[in-house]
Amino acid sequence: MGDDSTGEDWTLPDGSEGDQARMAAAVAQGDRDAERAFVERYLPRLRALLLARTRNADLASDLLQDVMIEAICALRRGQLREPSKLTAFVMGIARNLLNSHFRAATRQPDSLELPDDLPDLSSAASKLEDEERESAAMHAIANLETIDRTILQMTLVDGLKPGVIAQKLMLKPEVVRQRKLRATRKIIDFVRGRSQTSATIHLVTRQKE
Amino acid sequence: MKSCTGTPAELCGLPYIEGTLPEHQVELFEAHFFECPVCFAYLQDLQAMQSALSRFPAEKGDAPARRRLSILPARTWALGAAAAILLFAAVFSFRALNLGPQRAPVAQSTPPSTSPANPATSAHGASSASIRPSQLADLALPPFVAPNLRGAQEDAQFESGMKDYAKSDCRDAVAELAKVPAQSEDSRAARFYCAACEMRLGNLAEAASQMRTVAAAGDSPQQESALYYEAQIALANDDPAAAHHYLVQTIALQGDLEQKARDEDRKVHEFLGEQSIENPDKPESVAR
Repeated sequence: MGDDSTGEDWTLPDGSEGDQARMAAAVAQGDRDAERAFVERYLPRLRALLLARTRNADLASDLLQDVMIEAICALRRGQLREPSKLTAFVMGIARNLLNSHFRAATRQPDSLELPDDLPDLSSAASKLEDEERESAAMHAIANLETIDRTILQMTLVDGLKPGVIAQKLMLKPEVVRQRKLRATRKIIDFVRGRSQTSATIHLVTRQKE
Repeated sequence: MKSCTGTPAELCGLPYIEGTLPEHQVELFEAHFFECPVCFAYLQDLQAMQSALSRFPAEKGDAPARRRLSILPARTWALGAAAAILLFAAVFSFRALNLGPQRAPVAQSTPPSTSPANPATSAHGASSASIRPSQLADLALPPFVAPNLRGAQEDAQFESGMKDYAKSDCRDAVAELAKVPAQSEDSRAARFYCAACEMRLGNLAEAASQMRTVAAAGDSPQQESALYYEAQIALANDDPAAAHHYLVQTIALQGDLEQKARDEDRKVHEFLGEQSIENPDKPESVAR
C-alpha cells in the first residue's frame, strides 16, 4: 500500500459497476493504490482499442498516454458524475481524443498539464506478456502455409479486401475468406496453448518461491 | 461477464482489427471487451498476430528456400537432371519388359481381396458393399452460438427462432425463422438454420432448396456449411454423385469443413465409378 491509501484491496478488481464506483471514488480521494489498479485495468484495454482504431502502434502509444493522463486528472478532480460508469467514461475520453486527432484539432484538453505524481504508465509486466504473445504468434505464423500467411498479411498489414486479395492470388474471394479464418484460428489456438502453458509455469515457479 | 465463452471476440475480433466491423458494432464490441476478460484476451491474441505479421513479410519467409536452391552450382543441376532421366528410363523399360503382359488382366478384373493394391480403398470397398450412402449422411443440427453482445440489434424473430433452435424445437424454429424479413442482416443465417431444421424434420427437398439458396448467394459465414449440408442431404437421398459434387465445392472453399468433407468424399468415392470421380461434372440430379 502507498502512503495515500484507503486500505481497499485492488488486486482483483472484477469490473462490475460497484467495483468501478469504488475505484472512481478511491482515486478521487487520492488513493494511489486505486490509481495503480486503475492503470493496470484500463491501460491494456485502451491500448487495444487505440491500436484497432488507429492501426498505428506509435500513434496508439502517444494517444494512450494522453487518454490515461486526462482520465486520471479528471478522476482526481472528482469530475466523474456517475462513478459506476467509469468504463464508459474512460472509453468516452479515448474516443474524443481519437476524434480530435483525426479532425486534426489543435485544441488540447485542459488536464494535459502533466502532474508529477502519475502512476507508471508503462507497465513492464504487460509489455512482457505482449512480447510472449507476439513471439508465440510469430512461431505459429512461421508454420503456416505461405498462401495463408500471405492472405493474413494482405488483410491485416496491408488492409486489402478479400476481393482484391483474391485477384492478386488468383483465388475466389470466398476461398480467401475461409483460409483467413482457418489460419487465424490456428494461430490463436497455438498462442493460447502457449500462454496457458506459460501461465502454469509461472504459477508453479511462484508457488515454489 | 463471467459467463462469456469468447464468442463475441471470435465473431467480431478479426473484423474489428481489420477495420471492417460496422461502427455501431465496434462500439458494442468495445464496451463488451472492456468488461469481458475472455474476449479481451482473444483480442490481445489477434493483435499479437497482427503485430507479428507486420514483422514477418511472406517474401522474407520464402527467400531462404529460393536462396538455397540458387546456390547449387549449375553442374550439380545438370548431373541431377541426367540421373533423373536415366532412372526414369530404367524404370520404364523394366516395367515394359516384365510387367507389361500382366497388366491387362489386372485392369480388367477386380484385384484379389487377399493382396489389395490400395488397402484403404479395398477396406472401404468392402464396407460400401454392405452400407448405403444414406448411412453416411450427417443430419445433425449444426451448432449455433449467439454472439451475445449487449445491446446488439438482433432481429426479434431471428432471436426467438434461434432460441427454439437451441432447444432443438425445429417446428417452432422454422415458423419463427421464416418470418425474418429478407432485408434483415440475419436473413441468410435464418434461412440456413431454417434449412437445417427442415433437414432434421425430414423435409429433405425443402432443406436442399434452402441450402442451395444460401450457398448460391455467395460469400457468407454460412456458405461453406450450406454446401456441406447439401452434400449430406444428397447422401440421405442415396445420391452419391450429387454428394460428391457438393463435397468438392465444400473442399474448394478450403475452410473449416475442408478436412471433414475430404474424409467423407473419400468414402463417397466408393459408391462411384472411376469415371465419375475423374470427371466431377455436375450430376443430373443436381438441379440449379
